[in-house]
Amino acid sequence: MAPRLTVQVQLVLQALLQNPAGEMYGLELSEETGLQPGTAYPILLRLEHEGWVTSRWEDIDPRAEKRPARRYYRLTASGAVQASAALAGARRPRGTALRRLAGTGDTA
Amino acid sequence: MMPGIDPREEARKKRVRVAIVITACAAVASAALSGTRFNAWQWVPWVLGIIAIAVFSAIAMAASGGRPGGRGRDRVTGGRGRDDDGPAGAAAHQWRALVMVSRLMPRSAGRRWLAEAECLLSEIATAQRGAAIRSYLLSAPRLAVMMWAREVLRRARLRPWRPG
Repeated sequence: MAPRLTVQVQLVLQALLQNPAGEMYGLELSEETGLQPGTAYPILLRLEHEGWVTSRWEDIDPRAEKRPARRYYRLTASGAVQASAALAGARRPRGTALRRLAGTGDTA
Repeated sequence: MMPGIDPREEARKKRVRVAIVITACAAVASAALSGTRFNAWQWVPWVLGIIAIAVFSAIAMAASGGRPGGRGRDRVTGGRGRDDDGPAGAAAHQWRALVMVSRLMPRSAGRRWLAEAECLLSEIATAQRGAAIRSYLLSAPRLAVMMWAREVLRRARLRPWRPG
């Protein structure tokens, strides 16, 4: 079942589709979309549950890097195809909606 | 931090307050039940419900202050800060709230949520940290319901079917 394409979901998918083979972590996605991290996280979980997105923990030594490991997300092959199709069929988020989401606290 | 405050003493006082709340709730429940006309075992759901409310109240009380030790100890703030210490204290308070909320989710989901929040909060600009924590806290109830629903479904699928 395809996830419901809210404006926030579209923003996340657009960010991931900029580089379908690449990976993004939470803060990067949050900055790219303008969504608060607490909003982006449930969306990523839903997309992962639907099989559109896969994720992995970064393989680092947190003490050496002096920061916790990041969780990286990327689109699956089928997820990229479905996301592109879904976004093409979806109504584009309006500029005002995007500005409002980026400028204020938002909820999914 | 104010000088002369022993964190262990503060934690002990907090535990005493939690115990008082639970005892008071139990006393009120027993007093209420003694004046009712429940038949046989009809009072059992009431008692269980009141105990559940008391436990959740105790958890909420602990979340509002939190003890210095335990799982998820102020990792973002390095264990520093009290609520009355200004921004550092506020961040510590919010982090403790995140830890408490993560405990309301299924164990693995709560750990992952907290680990991702910790990672993000350690890298985000200090000025944006409060808003980020608020957004995590605001989305947590829906997320907890979603995760528990999935957990229940997963367990139901794992349970072998027994013909009636």
